[in-house]
Parts: sequence; C-alpha cells; structure tokens
Amino acid sequence: MTEPVTSPTSSHEVGKADSTPDLWRPGRKAMRRQMLDYVATVASVAAGSILLLVLVSILWTLLSRGLVGISWATLTRTMGPPGSGGGLANAIIGSLLQTGLALLMAAPVGLMCGIYLSEYGRNGNHFASVVRFVADMLMSAPSILIGLFIYQLLVVPFGHFSGFSGAVALAVLALPLIVRTTEDMLRLVPTAMREAGAALGAARWRVIIFLCLRSARKGVMTGILLALARMGGETAPLLFTSLGNQTMSMDMTRPMASLPIAIYQYAGASYEDWVQLAWTGALLVTFGVLLINITVRLSSRH
Amino acid sequence: MTSVPLPSSEHAAGPSDTGPEQEVALSVRDLNFHYGSHHALHGISLDFPARCVTAMIGPSGCGKSTLLRVFNKIYDLYPGQRATGEVLFDGRNILEDSINLDMLRARIGMVFQKPTPFPMSIYDNIAFGVRLHEKLSRTEMDERVQDVLTRVALWNEVRDRLHAPATGLSGGQQQRLCIARSIATRPEVLLLDEPTSALDPISTARIEELLDELKEEFTIAIVTHNMQQAARCADRVAFFYLGRLVEVDTADRIFTNPRQKQTQDYITGRFG
Repeated sequence: MTEPVTSPTSSHEVGKADSTPDLWRPGRKAMRRQMLDYVATVASVAAGSILLLVLVSILWTLLSRGLVGISWATLTRTMGPPGSGGGLANAIIGSLLQTGLALLMAAPVGLMCGIYLSEYGRNGNHFASVVRFVADMLMSAPSILIGLFIYQLLVVPFGHFSGFSGAVALAVLALPLIVRTTEDMLRLVPTAMREAGAALGAARWRVIIFLCLRSARKGVMTGILLALARMGGETAPLLFTSLGNQTMSMDMTRPMASLPIAIYQYAGASYEDWVQLAWTGALLVTFGVLLINITVRLSSRH
Repeated sequence: MTSVPLPSSEHAAGPSDTGPEQEVALSVRDLNFHYGSHHALHGISLDFPARCVTAMIGPSGCGKSTLLRVFNKIYDLYPGQRATGEVLFDGRNILEDSINLDMLRARIGMVFQKPTPFPMSIYDNIAFGVRLHEKLSRTEMDERVQDVLTRVALWNEVRDRLHAPATGLSGGQQQRLCIARSIATRPEVLLLDEPTSALDPISTARIEELLDELKEEFTIAIVTHNMQQAARCADRVAFFYLGRLVEVDTADRIFTNPRQKQTQDYITGRFG
C-alpha cells in the first residue's frame, strides 16, 4: 500500500500518450464552434448596445433641450401666443384629467373582461375566443383609427370636440391591454388554488376575487400601470377628439389641452419659445412614462 | 385484463368487514364516473366507516383520486365530468343536483397533493374558510385558529408570526396549515389526496401521526401511492385497478393475506 506508484505500469500507456493527439487541445471543428460562439456573442452585445444608445440619445437630447425650459412659469402658466411667456399648465392638467378618466373607464371593464376570459371563457367557449381575438386585434389597431372612430361616435353627433371623447379614445386604447394582461396573470394562478377554495365551500366569485385576483394582483396592477403609461404618450387618438385647447379648461365637454397635442402643435412652430415648450413637454411626458415603468419594475421585484 | 374475474362489490364491501355495529359515514353504491367519453370508475360500491382511516391504493390512473373527488363534488368545477349512482352521506345522496355544494364542502373537507396556501397571512388562511360558514367574534376566531394550529402541531412554530404570509412556511408546514384550514370549518369527513407525496420524510411522519389523532373525530379517506403509509395509517384499505374496486378489507388482511391475486401482486410490487 505504501509503495509509491511512480514507474509506468505498462508500455501500452506510454505508447498511447505518444501516438494520440493532445486531448486538451480543441480540434478544428471545436475551434470553429468557439469562434462562432464568440462572434455571435459580440453581435448580440452590439445589437443590445444599439438599442441602449437609441434610448440614451433620446433621453440625453430631451434632457439637454428640455431641462432649461422647466421653470415655475412653465408649470403654472397656460399656453399663450408666441412671445407672451406661456407655459404648459393647461396641457399638464388636461393630460392628467383625460388619462385619469380613461383609466377609470378602462380599468374596471378591462379587469372584469379579463376575469371573464380567464375564469369563465376557457377551453372551447366560442364567445370567449371571439372576445379574445377582438382584444388582440384592438391591441394592434392603429391608434389614429381609434381616434377617428370616437370622432364619429362622440364628436360628430355633439358638434364639437371634447375632453370626454379624448378620454374615451384613450380608454379604448388601454382596454385590450388591461384585458389581456389580466387574463394572462389569472391564468398563471394554479388550478389547485381554485380547487382548494372551492373545497372549503367558497362560492366561485369569492374564490376569484379573494384568492385568484389576490394571487395575481401584482401582475394585474402592472398591466394597468403599463396601459396608463401607454395612454399618457398617445397623440393620435386625441387629435380628432379632444383637439387641444390654448386656455385652461377642466370642462370635459369642451376641447381640452394635453401634453402630446401641445408637443405636436409646438414642435414644428417657427417661434423659438414654442419650440422650447415642445421640448419641455416632451421631457415631461417621457419622464412621466419612465417613472411609471420604473414603478412597475420596482413593485414587481418585491 | 378486464377478463380477470373481480369480486362482486357487495362482497368486497360487505358488512362483515366493518362489523355490524360500525357506523358508516359515507356509503358508495354502484358509482360510475365519466371524464367526457372516458369511463373512469365502474360500478364502485364501498363503505367508509365513521372515525376510521380508509386508504385507497392502486397504480396511477386506477381511479382512486377520481373517487375521492366525487365525495366533495369538486369535479363539478369542470364541465364534462359526471358521476352517476349513489353516494350516501347523512341520509342523502350527495350526487343529486339539489345538494348545496358549499354546505357539502363545509361538511366534507379536502387536502390536496401540493400544499395550497392562500395568498394571505397564516391567520387569515384559517379564518377564510371559517368566515364562509360561521360568524365568530374576534376572540372566538382567535381561539379557533389557535385550536386548529395546535392540533396540527403548528402552533408553536407559527405563534409569533400569525400575520406573516403563509407562503413563507416550509412545504411541510404549509401542508399542516392546509389540514388545519380544512378542520377549522369542523367537517365530518376529511379527504386527503396524496397529502405527503410532495413532502420530506420528517414532514410525512408528522402528518401520519396527525392522522392518528384526527381519526378520533373525523372520518378520513386518504389516497396514497405509498404502501407503507397505507399500512401505517389506515384501518381499512381499498385496492383499485383500472377503475374498479378489486378488494377492500382491514389493513392487516390486505397486507398479509389479500383475497385477490391482483392485490397480492400489487402490494408485493410485482406491478404498478
């Protein structure tokens, strides 16, 4: 046992070591695979960097151009003629009012519709598959079409543009997003949870609200917040509905200003102060949306 | 396979097995079960004596879980699943449509294979079921929660964090919580569908001990893949094969001297 085994035990092993190639060195094919792997990694990282570069350059441009325009006056004064030192207060208030009202309309309907699709409209329910299909179509519908549709529905009959019709257009835009995320999140709740609730003698609605929706609440909230972010940045649905307004108005039945419309109106103007307001408005919208997205990320992490 | 002669169900579940004076909690008569077009249970007749542990064993797909899910009509959640025949409980056939499902499930509780803690605190997990059926004062509810947690030997482990989320418990603790939740509504029958198959041996042993105590108050029907578990915990054992009840007898008889060759082959590990 104690005798050291230092000498080669057989001539066969020595011969093998001489004639076979070095097992630690990769062959030609393995080399090629490794090279390919390296190239693919570099290409993917480059693609990712391009995306990041786009976002960073947008944010940088917005910050460098918009930040100088942020002042108490911009935030508190309403829009005005060029050179009058106008601000964006009416557009900010208008955006908050319209997206807020839109969320109040879209969230309950979207939530209930998502619950219907997930809990009642499973496997082979024809009505549910039609609803699901329509929601998917609506999600990819051009937002300007939604604006035109609401124009026909709520602007033409009343003879004037209104903040309310703008909110409805935004709600139509947000609805399919909320429906589909609610459905998807509820579907992730295991069947065992539903059975366990039913096995205790809980009625179906109670199981859905107190067990399923409660388990899925983070995902559902995320969907609603992302829909809110989407609405906050939309211009097209508002062009034909709330139109925009130079003065401060909180009357939902009258035309109403909003940040995206203000950007649209001012960005192409030939007056320097208007262009500056457009940059500032763009900064506000972008960081509002960014803030919602970051909130979503943080809340879904914990 | 189906040509193998099977004992008549009357014989398998005859009164001689339980003793004439034994009270019967659940009585199954000529039960058939269908998953859509699939005929899963064939003419099952079987008695579950009160305050006894009856284990249901058999290879996967033999219908033992299906039978368990008939007793609280949980299959009713799924369209296309239907049961015919009779399941007598407290003088009524629970398969009738007139049976109130919520009342039935308050009286016949169920624990599932995987622990299913609700997304709420430990306390609320238990209170949730109780509140569905009773109106208790705050102190009564506190007492009920403490009582059932003590009985499943969980009280000492969670007394300091009753209001922490139940999902933070270990798998074994979660399963004991689920048992506590089921007995908190004071059912008469407890159905257990492979309650320890997702647990480690120590947690399993604890739940088996628990069954021994619980059977003094509840009628227990347990589905298990673990033959030793059936031998350890059960008073009576029913062996199922291909949707049919092959044999039911005392645990001693099934494991030492079964009447049917199929039972013998299964418990000795020759198939299944």
